[in-house]
Amino acid sequence: MSVQTRLIDLAIRFGFLLLMAGLLVFFSISAPGFLSPHSAVFVFQSVAITGILALGVTATLVVGGFDLSIGAVATSALMLSAYVMVVWELSAGVAIALCLLMGAGVGLVNGLLIVKARVPDLLATLGMMFLLIGLQRIPTEGRSISTGMTLPDGTVARGTFSELFLMLGRHRIDFFIERLIPLSVIFLLVVALLVWVFLEFTRHGRLMYAIGSNAQAAQLAGVKVERYKIAAYMISGTLASFGGVLLAARLGRGDVASGTNLLLDAVAAALIGFAVLGAGKPNAFGTAIGALFVGVLLQGMTMMNAPYYTQDFIKGAVLVVALVFTFAFTARGSRGA
Amino acid sequence: MISRRILMMTAGAFAFTPSLALAQDAPAPFDNPGDVTVALVRYLSTGDFFQSYLAGVEAQAAALGVNLRVFDSRQDAALQADMVDQAIALGVDGIIIQHGLTESMQDAAQRAVDAGIKVVAFDVNVENAAVPQIEQSDRDLARLALEQAITDNGEAFMAGYVYVPGIAPLDRRDETWREFKARYEGINEVSQFGTLDNPIANSVANQARAVFSANPGIEVVFAPYNEFAKGVMIAAQEAGVADNINIYSADISTADIAMMREPNSPWAATAATNPAVVGEVSVRALALLLAGEDPGEQVVVPPTLITRDMLNDGNITNMEELGEKIPAFLHADVALADWIALPSR
Repeated sequence: MSVQTRLIDLAIRFGFLLLMAGLLVFFSISAPGFLSPHSAVFVFQSVAITGILALGVTATLVVGGFDLSIGAVATSALMLSAYVMVVWELSAGVAIALCLLMGAGVGLVNGLLIVKARVPDLLATLGMMFLLIGLQRIPTEGRSISTGMTLPDGTVARGTFSELFLMLGRHRIDFFIERLIPLSVIFLLVVALLVWVFLEFTRHGRLMYAIGSNAQAAQLAGVKVERYKIAAYMISGTLASFGGVLLAARLGRGDVASGTNLLLDAVAAALIGFAVLGAGKPNAFGTAIGALFVGVLLQGMTMMNAPYYTQDFIKGAVLVVALVFTFAFTARGSRGA
Repeated sequence: MISRRILMMTAGAFAFTPSLALAQDAPAPFDNPGDVTVALVRYLSTGDFFQSYLAGVEAQAAALGVNLRVFDSRQDAALQADMVDQAIALGVDGIIIQHGLTESMQDAAQRAVDAGIKVVAFDVNVENAAVPQIEQSDRDLARLALEQAITDNGEAFMAGYVYVPGIAPLDRRDETWREFKARYEGINEVSQFGTLDNPIANSVANQARAVFSANPGIEVVFAPYNEFAKGVMIAAQEAGVADNINIYSADISTADIAMMREPNSPWAATAATNPAVVGEVSVRALALLLAGEDPGEQVVVPPTLITRDMLNDGNITNMEELGEKIPAFLHADVALADWIALPSR
């Protein structure tokens, strides 16, 4: 291997991490207060929800699919949890369980549509996205859910978000500094670790990668392709609904929202993840780094008073660069090898 | 016996007289309101504000006894223009245009006016002298909230400001903010942020957290839209600075009332018009126009200031109670006439 190809190889592998380190240094110098434990924790918190969604979508990307419904699943879980607690006055445990079941159920339907009904993945999950955006508004006639709201039948909802539930989004754990790390950040780290271990180190995970690279070959090798595909969508749906639960716990109310931005941010994180360590494929570690990368950027730019449209612009630019890293450089590298 | 029957009939007729008289007193076409059809053509419909606005329109239309057709373009400007044409083709008597873009609505409104249809517009300027503008006065909203901020915090403070340009009501509120900054030199705006990425409160909370760590001295945040204020409040609580900060906003909903009333809530005050009242006023203004009366070129629905203390003192928990305890919120004395029945409360 010549020096040049080795340099390119290094650039592909570590370029993105270097870029992120550079950003961190830049913001530390130019934005006062950026380099503090609270600020660091906050970057994690701001990406916790999209990060968890992104890890779900990574699972579908691994089997060569795509899940456009995750944003809508998350906001449906947000509305469902609020409805269960505020209108039905049931406990936090029931709310969380129902949300996760709903997410898994939506994933199952997505999977069946794709595998059994042979609807292309983008179309099936697009349909599901619209369906959920509408469905979540039917029970309240399009209104947000909060304690004291008047229901369509004229009664007043008296339930409240339980403290236990709110803790999921608001409680902070002592870590050297008192009340430093929010629970949602712990969840993000745990989910990232679980998905990473599952995809990289278990037989199931490797089979899912095999399906993603060539479903037919995997089928011929005896892999139950359909089951794994359905499982991938169920993972995605469940994680998205979990993200929605965390969102509800942070907001403390059932806000009407389409979740489109959650979807876009999550997909961006997963796609940026392709470029991390030159993987050139969906991977959990890359997704987590991708989400953090976007979080660092937005945090730093907001601290420097950059308006929101420049933030969208930079987010887009990062995504384009990441995709070029992935498709142009990685492909060239493999051709050269 | 006969005389008794006649007496009873007379009494019966007498009992009906008030409503008959009312209908007869009402000018055409409201002497026969069942034959009147008005269309509501909407650009924005998602969210509590627009839901409540629709409820107001429906209530006032029912009180008048007219038929209401609702067209919802769901933020599709071209579709909204088509819907105006659809309403023209249906032969409605009046059209309420609710939000939209001047560019797409100007011609559509003109076509309706040309077809002899009466038109009023809420929160969209269709640049047509024949079309009265219904407005919740955004400048007054901002002024009320900011005056309260001055009362609470004095004339000099370090401020954060949440704003997204290009949204007409926010732009009008921004004008007032700039006036205040010019008038009170002690107002030091150290940060301006804002986004409409939804869920808006969540995205704004992420930004506000960053702003609070970059500018620990912020005392006042002017967040002239309730979703912004929610986000700022979440961030203030997460950053542990809720005690040092006062948030002033515009608009209100049941959920906002709950947040303003939380213990140690940083959300000090909001200025709001009741969207249901704005809906009622829109219908009344159209009714005046249909009856040949002049509601005026601009029909402004005055806002009400609602402070944390007012909510706590009155033990107000939702929008209905807010209306009961603060009557100014429940009804606006604009676009009234003797023959227009108000919705029953």
